Amino acid sequence: MNDALKKFEVVDGELVEVDDEDHLLIRDNSELQRVAPEIHERNILYLRYVIIPIVFLTVAMLGGLRISGLDGAFVFVRPALICLIFAAILLILFARSKVLETNGWFSESFPMLKNVANGFVIAALFAAATQVFNSLIPEQGLMFWIVAFCFFWTLWNNLFADFDAQKLFRSLGALFGLAFVAKYLILANLTAPAGRTWLEALMENPGQEAVTRLLDLPRFSGATGYIQFFAVGLFLLGLYLLPSRTSD
Amino acid sequence: MKEKYIQIVGIALTAVYGVFVVFLYAAEPRSLEELTAKAVETVQNAATKGQVITGTYEIDKAKFSEGIAAFRQENYPLARDAFAKSDPERRDANAQFYIAYSFYRQGWGRVTNDDVMFRQALEALERVNFIDKDFRSGDADLKLRTPAELKNELEEGLRVTADDFNPLKVLRERK
Repeated sequence: MNDALKKFEVVDGELVEVDDEDHLLIRDNSELQRVAPEIHERNILYLRYVIIPIVFLTVAMLGGLRISGLDGAFVFVRPALICLIFAAILLILFARSKVLETNGWFSESFPMLKNVANGFVIAALFAAATQVFNSLIPEQGLMFWIVAFCFFWTLWNNLFADFDAQKLFRSLGALFGLAFVAKYLILANLTAPAGRTWLEALMENPGQEAVTRLLDLPRFSGATGYIQFFAVGLFLLGLYLLPSRTSD
Repeated sequence: MKEKYIQIVGIALTAVYGVFVVFLYAAEPRSLEELTAKAVETVQNAATKGQVITGTYEIDKAKFSEGIAAFRQENYPLARDAFAKSDPERRDANAQFYIAYSFYRQGWGRVTNDDVMFRQALEALERVNFIDKDFRSGDADLKLRTPAELKNELEEGLRVTADDFNPLKVLRERK
């Protein structure tokens, strides 16, 4: 009984009548405090079902977008099959590390609409994860296989490691950061600019041209790196906003 | 707003945005201007497919009339283009028959025929047979009014026989 009583929080104050029925005002030490649990709950719902899916789908839209180095045209790169596999492994890792509690998102006790709405959020997360891998893994050639293998190795090891949400985020941060630097700083600087003839390229910068041809690097504009930085940042923001469970 | 309304709004928004993302990767527009053009094209295609599904599909009669006019003036490439645009789903036997006939007339030669044109005519005729096996053209200007007659003429034209070397052959007429 005493334990049960301790769990209640006692608010010592005078109740004040107001016209606005949504709010309860409490006079505590001559200061008015506004308490609006409904608004707080509503904001959480907006965040969960509107903002988070929009963030993830924006990542899904931008993750495969490249800007051509030749004429600045949009190039939409569809994700390779391996990106879908990595995204699936990532979702399993989220479930294992309790970043996403499966029974907190889907349950027989939830109304069907809630399960469906939660399913859409998770589908948006899967699409975003797929496109983040699409963004970070080189598009073709030898580098695609090297980076894809590194991703696979890390994710596969994580799958069997004993870790929590913090460790997972640290691991993912390191993985994504390294891949971003490798692709959009190192490889991008090794790539020869587009729009030059074979002879011009050999005369002006033979080293870059040789590496570009040897590693089969695509010639994208520098703007691609900025877009992908934004996309990866948005993905991490989405993960930060994502609740581990939707049930109370 | 109640929880379920927010969930419905969320589902609708996610679905619409998701379809837009899929459209982007399917259409692959190269610029923002091209994005609008591709969106219009996709909507038109979807509308035509919807008409086919609901059984309300009809050819564009104005384009078809343009095709007929060009066909009468013996401008066969223009006629085919108009017929193809009038029947984008290739579901109208009459339009497909005119396409086949235009290939035949363009490919016909007094001395030799254009085999490529004749083969394309046969392909178009296959579509006519697929759409309507009992098709018969109502155009009095055409001497070959059924797919079977036109097919026979085309196959005769493609076949190399001793008759092809008959000098009197130059006197024959295009049908």
